[in-house]
Amino acid sequence: MAGRVVLSAFSALVGAFLLLPILAVVPAAFNGSSFIRLPPDNWSVRWWGAFFADQTWRRSLVTSLQVATLAAALSVVLGTAAALGIERLGGWVRQLALALFVGPVIVPVIVLAVALYSLARSVGLVGTTTMLAIAHTMLALPYVALNVGVSLAALDPRLRLAATGLGASPWHAFRTVTLPLIMPGVIGGAVFAFVTSFDEVVLSVFLAGPQAKTLPVRIWEEIRVEYTPIVAVAATIMIALAVAAVAASRVIQRRDA
Amino acid sequence: MMRVGTALLLAPALLVLGISFLLPLGRLLVLSLSSPAGAIAPYATLLGDDIYRKVFWNTSLFAVVVTAITLVIGWPTAFALTRLRGSARALLFAAILAPLWISVLVRTFSWMLLLETNGPINRALLGIGAIRAPIALLFNNAAVIIGMVHVLLPYAVLPMYAALVRIDPAFLKASEGLGASWPTTLRQVLLPLSAQGIATAATFVFLLSFGFFITPALLGGASNITLSMLIDHFVSERLDWALAGAASLVLLGATLAFVAIAGRFVRVARLIEVR
Amino acid sequence: MTSVRFAGISKTFAEVEALRPTNLDIPSGEFLTLLGPSGSGKTTLLNICAGYLTPTAGRLVVGDRDITNLPARTRNMGMVFQNYALFPHMSVFGNVSYGLKVRRVSRPEIERRVNNALAMVQLEGFANRAIAQLSGGQQQRVALARAMVIEPDILLMDEPLGALDRALRKDVQLQIRRLHLANPRTTIYVTHDQEEALVMSDRIAVMRAGTIVQAGSGRDLYERPVDAFVACFLGESNLISGRVASVGGGKAVLNAEGLDVSITGRAAPGLAANAPAFALIRPEAVRLIKGGIPASVIERVYLGEITAVRLRLPNSQELWCRRFAAEVPDIEKHEIGWDETAVSILPDINPGKRSVLPC
Repeated sequence: MAGRVVLSAFSALVGAFLLLPILAVVPAAFNGSSFIRLPPDNWSVRWWGAFFADQTWRRSLVTSLQVATLAAALSVVLGTAAALGIERLGGWVRQLALALFVGPVIVPVIVLAVALYSLARSVGLVGTTTMLAIAHTMLALPYVALNVGVSLAALDPRLRLAATGLGASPWHAFRTVTLPLIMPGVIGGAVFAFVTSFDEVVLSVFLAGPQAKTLPVRIWEEIRVEYTPIVAVAATIMIALAVAAVAASRVIQRRDA
Repeated sequence: MMRVGTALLLAPALLVLGISFLLPLGRLLVLSLSSPAGAIAPYATLLGDDIYRKVFWNTSLFAVVVTAITLVIGWPTAFALTRLRGSARALLFAAILAPLWISVLVRTFSWMLLLETNGPINRALLGIGAIRAPIALLFNNAAVIIGMVHVLLPYAVLPMYAALVRIDPAFLKASEGLGASWPTTLRQVLLPLSAQGIATAATFVFLLSFGFFITPALLGGASNITLSMLIDHFVSERLDWALAGAASLVLLGATLAFVAIAGRFVRVARLIEVR
Repeated sequence: MTSVRFAGISKTFAEVEALRPTNLDIPSGEFLTLLGPSGSGKTTLLNICAGYLTPTAGRLVVGDRDITNLPARTRNMGMVFQNYALFPHMSVFGNVSYGLKVRRVSRPEIERRVNNALAMVQLEGFANRAIAQLSGGQQQRVALARAMVIEPDILLMDEPLGALDRALRKDVQLQIRRLHLANPRTTIYVTHDQEEALVMSDRIAVMRAGTIVQAGSGRDLYERPVDAFVACFLGESNLISGRVASVGGGKAVLNAEGLDVSITGRAAPGLAANAPAFALIRPEAVRLIKGGIPASVIERVYLGEITAVRLRLPNSQELWCRRFAAEVPDIEKHEIGWDETAVSILPDINPGKRSVLPC
């Protein structure tokens, strides 16, 4: 069928358009010379060495990992609790709560950044990893809550009734029955929150300080001026993390099915 | 008893959202109204000054163009997703979903690498003799649009795919069985039935592109300033908080207005599900 | 062993009165079935007993404790749900031992009791199986074991056999009955299947629209129903409509329109002279009598050892007759009669409101 050929060709083009540019970053990290060259003049790992030797780059990577872990932990705990709470609400209160949670998704990030930066400045909290983690939690929380909410809705409500009827306290019933069954949704949320935080640029740029600078912020600073392949190394690390995260979430989904 | 438990469950999340979302926004509103020149002065400046109006126009134009392009490319892609089978389908899905996990910064940076004067595209064109000297592919409208389309395409494809996949294949068979040609089936059956999905996609992409910061900032030139870049300028360079606040609230207001209008055609809650 | 008393228990949801003020006494060790169509309030009553719903009014007393406001987890009742509600992420052992773990029973004791419970429902050796590997019947028995292993004061079952096929259902009904007889435990069983109710129960409470219409043994309800609804719900019924000619001494006489002969039978409560009423005659009570009422055959159904014949009376009302096949010659017209002691005269609560009889 001619149609099928056209469709396949078109899909291949779109797929290439979406993936290849991103992948183009990777070879740039292996360029031997001091300029970014695609394809590289000569292949070398010297810029990887340079990356890990440079204190500011190293620190930014560590900061990113710290903030992302903290944000993921906060998002998951708060988001799961919120999902449990919202499940019990009804009527206009529920709508209001949902609207509040949807807020950070709808409001443009730049507005969130400026607003939070202004507030943080006035209380001297700019440039702390804690502030960064809280800001990232704000972004990821709605998604986690929604994700867990979907898992919760898919649960048979009678399971909880069975558990309480057999004498379990609400916490015991949650721990032994509900949580194991929504775990894939929770872990998926955790992975998502981690990556969201790790990838986050705008909020981080505004809230960063000399002591607290994430990897994206460092990259942002570099590429606005002049950049060497070290930036491509940083970008490749970010891509590698994203790939690892997608793989992890695939594994989780397969366990769920 | 139930009430207390529910409140305790929601409290921490509400606290975080309160101090990191509601409070800052409220404060920003107040700031925007506290210019020494008067409460509405910054707003008047923004809406009155030609330069700022042009920024608003630029931003809207980008958003409209990017939305249109992503819809045109995205719909057939979504359709392909419903028709392809096996590994081809899996690959296309991966190509659409994987970029969503990668930072917008990295995705934009990749276009910087590709479009720069010494980049592969220019060198390829030079190599095959299509051009004599490298052309400026970067720091202009086209670059911004390409970059934004690249980043936002998945957000357009997914809602449209969700709508298309829900269409009962029996409809297509019925249309063909009744003698309709492909274009007719497309026009009379597929497009109307996926209209909700198209509307959702358009809303999502428009919303995102209107507030976009990173991509236009890195790929655009001096004459392609968007509203978000203007806000950044007010904060980082002018240190004019009243103007920054006012511009932010104008952006927010426009966004909310758009959501409200679109909300009559599209379930806003759907947007959050796409991710 | 514990008794249950519902005193004035009612439940209203929004503006819907799902359960009218209800009184019911269940002595210790009795197997009581709540029987009724959907919407009759039977599941609501069960859920109130379990503690999953709080009554709008009334008191619930178990043994000598008022437990009306106690939360479900403190009531020590074993509940078997309609779709079993087995924990999908636990094995059979994990499910059955759940209640015992919550009660902090020692490990060796848990193993002993779980194995006993599984043996009781004929699932020995199934302890380590995953729930997903079990058939519907096996899952149902695991649910039963899980409810019983905690030695509950009261056993509650909400239409547990609905998802099983017919043959399996009959099998399990008898099993549950045998288990109960071997080890009587106060049980409240909810179903809409009258045969199930008859097989398993010591007593049956027929419910409709939020009230208990009649409670009694299967025999009571079958032979002495209080109204047409109960008559129709339990067993096959013939209802002949007419008016009460006279009432007295526990008997009543019904005049059916167009029928020369009047029908005498046991009087249900609430009959008044000249009020519209039904004569209930069970199909197996209809006999072929020489010189009886002439009736023409409309339909003849072969049911193996029984033959069911649909007859039309001279006044155009219809009657089913069920007799052993050999007793009913295959002819167009019969003369029929019945034993007065097998007849009940029941009040007609919705006269003229329908074109078809209630059953």
